[in-house]
Amino acid sequence: MNERVVICRCEDITEEEVLDAIRDGAISMEELKRVLRVGMGPCQGRTCGSLIRALLARELGVPVHSIKEWSRRPPLKPVPAGAFFQGEES
Amino acid sequence: MSTVTCEVAVIGAGIIGTATAHYLSARGVDVVVIDRSYMGSGSTGRCIGGLRHQFSTPPSIRLMKESIRLFSEMEEEFGHSVEFSQGGYLLLAHSDEMAATFRANIRVQRAEGINVSLLDPKEAHDLVPQLNTEGLVAGAWCPDDGQAFPFAVLKGYRKRTENAGGRFILHNPVVNFRRNANFELFLGDGSIVEAPRVLLAAGPWTRELAKPLGIDLPLAPERHEAMITERMPRFLKPMLVDYRPDGCYFQQMLTGQVIGCYTPVPAVPGIREDVSFEFLPQVAWRMSRLVPALRNAAILRHWAGCYTMTPDGNPVLDRTPLDGLFVASGMCGHGFMFGPAMGHHMADFILDGEWGMDFSEFALDRDFSPGAETLK
Repeated sequence: MNERVVICRCEDITEEEVLDAIRDGAISMEELKRVLRVGMGPCQGRTCGSLIRALLARELGVPVHSIKEWSRRPPLKPVPAGAFFQGEES
Repeated sequence: MSTVTCEVAVIGAGIIGTATAHYLSARGVDVVVIDRSYMGSGSTGRCIGGLRHQFSTPPSIRLMKESIRLFSEMEEEFGHSVEFSQGGYLLLAHSDEMAATFRANIRVQRAEGINVSLLDPKEAHDLVPQLNTEGLVAGAWCPDDGQAFPFAVLKGYRKRTENAGGRFILHNPVVNFRRNANFELFLGDGSIVEAPRVLLAAGPWTRELAKPLGIDLPLAPERHEAMITERMPRFLKPMLVDYRPDGCYFQQMLTGQVIGCYTPVPAVPGIREDVSFEFLPQVAWRMSRLVPALRNAAILRHWAGCYTMTPDGNPVLDRTPLDGLFVASGMCGHGFMFGPAMGHHMADFILDGEWGMDFSEFALDRDFSPGAETLK
């Protein structure tokens, strides 16, 4: 691969880095995310999630639907800390 | 059915297991590390990565002195960054009682050669200008405390262990456990690992693993939740630890995110990785009370992991009554920071049968009544 293809824009992770992690033995979305922080930025994987899932399926030689998606974590979208308690201050 | 034999089998590819495996393999021992999932899938990968010298008793302080030195050498040793930095820990007391605890601890820490001092509220504010010092009585400050990124550390230990001939069997749980001439570990895929010596380093799962062998370890997992914000320009150097009953602790990572937790009261027992509704509003309020600017920080994620607690708040690091079976668990939330030094000592203990330092506070046959460690 000669081109630097960014696959996770929030965390600036390239396709090559994802492939490297898979070559290192990663077999799940969870460990890719933990090791590389892909999908951990402001978009929370909405942009890169399906791309990385397809990449992982291709590399492992399995159907995409057999790869478990990332766990969804609250609050799903970035929410300012103050929004959680405004109006409750005494 | 395939059988793998080795000299030491380590169950658990978290920080304790991989660090111990590294030090075993460095001494030429044939080691196999087994994990039910990926490396760091248990407590290590869910922790927030803080490292501190500020403990209450000499064994923990000495262990942390060694650990932080080892963290500082990792980049050179591993050939990649582990995002280690020393931004310090600032512990905050909002009562005279807690301030007295800090003072007592500082005496012990200084005797161990730790650079730690008691700050008055103004000094704390000078150190962290964003800090709201309302109600603050005193701070305990150690500039040599810091942080590191757990997965980069695990990756380094794995690389070093494999280079020395060690093996990792991941995504394969130990489903049964038996002792004949050697220990036989039956794995999920039907294979067997046979070893004369076994280390249980499976964090919250350790107690259940030992039960088939008739050993009941005093380990009680609890759920702890954590959250992380978007990346922000660096503005906060130390980890802040608010010791009020409704306090919290958080730091800004080298990469800009603020990562933080609080200790739930009452505790939430069990091996649980689900999350609660109350955590985000609570942690957001508690953090913003301490650093008001944080109310504008966007929270991205919220997750949970386990602390494996013991009755007295100290780890269990010992041999068991069963010859050849060792345990390193019950880290009470400090496994990542203790890990490197603990792995080093555990490896030596497995091979030599004696400790390189006084670990009687971590012994399995100690008096477990609560008390010794005051800084949770």
